[in-house]
Amino acid sequence: MGIETTVFAGRPTKWDGLLDWLQMLSGASLILFMWAHMLLVASIIIGPGVMNAIAGFFEATGLAQVGGPLVFLLFLGHFLLAARKVPFRFDRQKTIWEHATMLRHQDTWLWLVQVVTAMIILLMGSIHMWVVLTDLPITAAKSAARIQGGFWLAFFLVLLPMVELHVGIGFYRIGVKWGVIRDRERGKFKRAENILTLTFICIGLLALARFWFLAVH
Amino acid sequence: MIQTVYTDVLVIGAGLAGERAALECADAGLSTVCLSIVPARRSHSSAAQGGMQAALGNCAMGEGDGPDVHFADTVKGSDWGCDQEVARLFVDTAPIEMRRLAFWGVPWNRVVPGTSSYFKGGQKFEKIEKPEKEGLITARAFGGTAKWRTCYVSDGTGHSVLFTMDNRCAELGVEVHDKTEAIALIHDGQTCFGAVARCLKTGELRVYLAKATMIATGGFGRIYPNTTNAVICDGSGHIPAINTGVVPMGNMEAVQFHPTGIVPTDILVTEGCRGDGGTLLDVNQERFMHIYEPEKAELASRDVVSRWMTHHIRQGKGVKSPYGDHLWLDIRHLGEKHITGKLREVYEICTSFLGINPIHQLIPVRPTQHYSMGGVRTNKDGAAYGLKGLFSAGEAACWDMHGFNRLGGNSLAETVVAGGIVGRKMAEYALGAEVTFKSTVIDGEARAQEERIKALISGANGSQNVYKVRAAMQETLNKGANIFRNGPDLEACVESLQEVLERARKVGLKSSGLGASPELAAALKIEGQVKMALMVAYGALKRTESRGSHNREDFPARNDRDWLVRTLATWKNPADTLPTLTYEAATQIFEIPPGDRGYGKSEVISAESKKE
Amino acid sequence: MGRLLQFNIFRYNPQDQESTPHTDTFVLEETDSMTLFIALNRIREEQDSSLQFDFCCRAGICGSCGMVINGRPGLACHTKTKDLPTDITLLPLPVFRLVGDLSVDTGSWFREMYNKVESWIHTKKTFDSAALEERMDNAVAEDIYELDRCVECGCCVAACGTARMRENFLGAVALNRIARFLIDPRDERTEQQYYDIIGNDNGIFGCMGLLACEDVCPKHLPLQNQLGFLRRKMGITALKSIFKK
Ligand SMILES: Cc1cc2nc3c(=O)[nH]c(=O)nc-3n(C[C@H](O)[C@H](O)[C@H](O)COP(=O)(O)OP(=O)(O)OC[C@H]3O[C@@H](n4cnc5c(N)ncnc54)[C@H](O)[C@@H]3O)c2cc1C
Ligand code: HEM
Ligand code: HEM
Ligand code: SF4
Ligand code: F3S
Ligand code: FES
Repeated sequence: MGIETTVFAGRPTKWDGLLDWLQMLSGASLILFMWAHMLLVASIIIGPGVMNAIAGFFEATGLAQVGGPLVFLLFLGHFLLAARKVPFRFDRQKTIWEHATMLRHQDTWLWLVQVVTAMIILLMGSIHMWVVLTDLPITAAKSAARIQGGFWLAFFLVLLPMVELHVGIGFYRIGVKWGVIRDRERGKFKRAENILTLTFICIGLLALARFWFLAVH
Repeated sequence: MIQTVYTDVLVIGAGLAGERAALECADAGLSTVCLSIVPARRSHSSAAQGGMQAALGNCAMGEGDGPDVHFADTVKGSDWGCDQEVARLFVDTAPIEMRRLAFWGVPWNRVVPGTSSYFKGGQKFEKIEKPEKEGLITARAFGGTAKWRTCYVSDGTGHSVLFTMDNRCAELGVEVHDKTEAIALIHDGQTCFGAVARCLKTGELRVYLAKATMIATGGFGRIYPNTTNAVICDGSGHIPAINTGVVPMGNMEAVQFHPTGIVPTDILVTEGCRGDGGTLLDVNQERFMHIYEPEKAELASRDVVSRWMTHHIRQGKGVKSPYGDHLWLDIRHLGEKHITGKLREVYEICTSFLGINPIHQLIPVRPTQHYSMGGVRTNKDGAAYGLKGLFSAGEAACWDMHGFNRLGGNSLAETVVAGGIVGRKMAEYALGAEVTFKSTVIDGEARAQEERIKALISGANGSQNVYKVRAAMQETLNKGANIFRNGPDLEACVESLQEVLERARKVGLKSSGLGASPELAAALKIEGQVKMALMVAYGALKRTESRGSHNREDFPARNDRDWLVRTLATWKNPADTLPTLTYEAATQIFEIPPGDRGYGKSEVISAESKKE
Repeated sequence: MGRLLQFNIFRYNPQDQESTPHTDTFVLEETDSMTLFIALNRIREEQDSSLQFDFCCRAGICGSCGMVINGRPGLACHTKTKDLPTDITLLPLPVFRLVGDLSVDTGSWFREMYNKVESWIHTKKTFDSAALEERMDNAVAEDIYELDRCVECGCCVAACGTARMRENFLGAVALNRIARFLIDPRDERTEQQYYDIIGNDNGIFGCMGLLACEDVCPKHLPLQNQLGFLRRKMGITALKSIFKK
């Protein structure tokens, strides 16, 4: 406490507006990607044949070779845009932590969850993408082999909830920040978002289980 | 070295009156500083919800209204105690000021054409708003008025108007030094040079030197224990004027009480509760007003209802509570729809401050001090009597358009009208004034204040507890100079207040007094407050008649023969134990000679009647 | 007998060289309809006359008494002790400069804010005292008042994580103020002019949608909706100005 107050507005720059659009759009695109990604990976639940077929389709059309790196760029771009808001300085981290523990306010905590998950995703997501993209093509067998190794199972068990939380909260946040979700509807949307997040985590877990028990020849 | 601030105009008080006046001076190209105890927008003007009167005559129920009708209402309301020249000035200017406020940004409610319904005495009526008036400023009904004349912004008129005013001040560069309390005027007995003020952030003293100084510090309800006023409405702006020994206070005995302040926090709940059919109950949950006033019952005028409520409590029929005796206001029978609709504000006050749901529960109320008609006496230009270069406006002043009873909606309107008129006069004065600041006078006043503070901190005068002294003053005044008054009680009251004055002079701090010290702030004004209390009580004792809010049980008649005068109270010598009272004619010009108010039954001793 | 309430109050008097920030504890017996206004005044008058705090209207109207009550910024005068546990912790509002104990300097902060957002009607017209007022639709007037209801208590700023991390962030109160003028037909400012004030990361694009502002505002201003409205409006203005070039 005892901060000298200063209110500096009037730093007229149209770039801040553009960057805000890009941050939102990059986030939204990543959400779309993650849903598509989920379709690919979760198809294993139906059977390895389906997954192979989808992967094969991507492979044959060149989407995996070109799309993969593009997604990686999007991922990095989103990180750079969102990083403008992330408290990297220690004193800010301390402030926001004290603030959140004092306030006990759900939406403030949700943001902190978003930041923390983001950091984990940045690290783990990069590793994961590196591993998959340097070992194309994607096949059900390769994936199952990785997961049955044990390490990757643990890896995904961490990454999965992180990603889904980040995506779920991010989706909700786009809604409130841009005024799509009105004040009265907030509770409803938050609940819907929680259900969606949980559902995706469940599907992910199912997929992982399927990989685990898949007979690898 | 004490910091010194030079400015052309110094306005003590940044409520509506102060800021409106400051704007006139800034417009005239003068440098202007306002002082305020709280940030300007927290001034008590923001608490006024009802609205402000101006005879625009735009709404259907205001048709045929005009300044003349407004004038008659105001003079009758004042019980012929007002200065009619001033009242005329006021009613003629009010409509222009409302339009100016609209221009500056006030979101006045506007006329919506078509048929709509309204309630009166619990019954439903219809009115038709004219299409040609669409979008003009509309108005609502208020007590004591012949027409619907009160312009409003939903239930936040004072708030919206004050925000607009302060926006305008920011635009024109009027400086507001908030958390700064004036504690003394700088003067040489002839001319005022500014003020000494204490910073409520650091506790430091500052000297403000100005060609013209204005007191616009609002009411002084806090010298009573129970008041609808904010905690800063404690007379601390009047005290510097009183302490000059040459500036008189006008009609200090004219104090308005409102029947329904809630207990314990004394927040006002509107008259609308009773207007819409609410009743007052006693400890046995029985009605009583119809016993005293068979005809009008709960709907008699403010002063009458307040008087009977107090009487009833004195009869032992009050409800005991840790905060003193009170009565009940019952609006349960009006039903949920009505309460959460038309009386939404009341509903919110009850739920958030009392934890009471008025749909199912009774509201604890008692008559509560509400408005100070009296204050720094000025002429019609707002120039204070006694000192050149000193002005006053708003509730702090006795300009005097309210006489012995002000109408609801007239005081908020007064702040902007008087602020404008007096502000212009003050600017003229400052532009023409050749003021040489006398350094001996300035240093002398600054040093005197430093000494005073040192003495309070060291306890050189004694060790009386300021809060106890204050409570004693409030209780004494409350007992003696309340809603109804009589000779013996007032005499006892004056006597006790004199004892309290002795104690006030012996106050010493318990805490260190360092920094913003709230205890020091209270101690610096306690003696002055007791002096004000004495002005109220002594003025009331000497005024042997009943007029408006001043009710003498032993002199029930309004006496136009002997008392068509204004009391002027001066504290001539700091060591005095009583104010010096003199009198002047209530008004020089009579547009309407004294007559019947048209409500409230009272005897009148007419001006023509001979002395026995 | 009422409950015994324990008040843990932040204490620090910056003007006193011997004072250091610490917590003092006071015990008070609860009475009927007790509010924090009543409780704090009793503590000052009966137990510690140096205790600093701010009240003015004590009716929830003026915004003076914002403080952190058991972790949440709120107005002390309309907080009933009945609704609180027996342990009550009071802190001054963060973000604003501390005056002493529970009292903070909101005045300076807000005055700077008025100047930054130019919190007044901008018009080229002049007032004509002989003319009728300009007409306005009553619904528009009511919409403006809805945003004008803010009491500048500062709770929304104190509750905003963004405002706490970045001291240049304008806060919901200032953004709401801009929205108030934006919808006022009397204000002739263009969208580009508004954009120059709030179209940046200290303004609307700095808001991260934490919504504590919305949740603590004692006057229930529609802050969430207004922030969304401004982000869309300013976002579109940004795109327009980029594509114009
Ligand atoms: C609950 C309530 C409701 C009301 N409703 C209505 C209504 O509906 N209609 C109506 O017409 N009237 C109403 N009134 C009356 C009306 O609001 C006031 O009379 C009017 O607002 C007073 O304005 P002002 O500018 O004179 O003083 P205020 O607004 O009280 O301002 C006083 C200023 O002086 C400052 N000040 C005080 N002492 C000092 C000092 N020593 N040094 C420096 N600064 C100082 C304060 O900080 C403040 O800025 C109501 C009053 C109350 C209490
Ligand atoms: C698959 C990966 C990711 C997806 C789907 C995703 C999605 C989103 C979405 C939709 C938002 C809301 C955008 C907005 O409010 O404008 C968001 C915000 C955010 N993202 Fe990501 N993100 C991903 C990865 C990352 C990574 C790797 C980081 C790295 C640090 C990150 C950091 C953030 C931060 C800090 C925010 C909050 C920004 C704010 O509140 O203004 N995200 N993300
Ligand atoms: C183009 C990029 C990507 C490709 C091609 C890809 C591909 C795959 C494949 C094949 C799997 C199956 C497991 C394996 O083989 O290891 C998988 C699983 C997974 N991926 Fe990706 N991935 C990509 C990007 C990402 C990103 C950006 C994230 C999140 C940050 C992510 C999160 C996950 C998770 C959580 C799983 C576990 C799946 C589950 O539990 O259902 N992936 N991915
Ligand atoms: S928006 Fe609400 S919380 Fe913020 S200052 Fe205004 S009233 Fe207080
Ligand atoms: S809490 Fe702060 S981040 Fe935005 S939504 Fe409210 S201003
Ligand atoms: S004291 Fe005015 S809002 Fe609390």
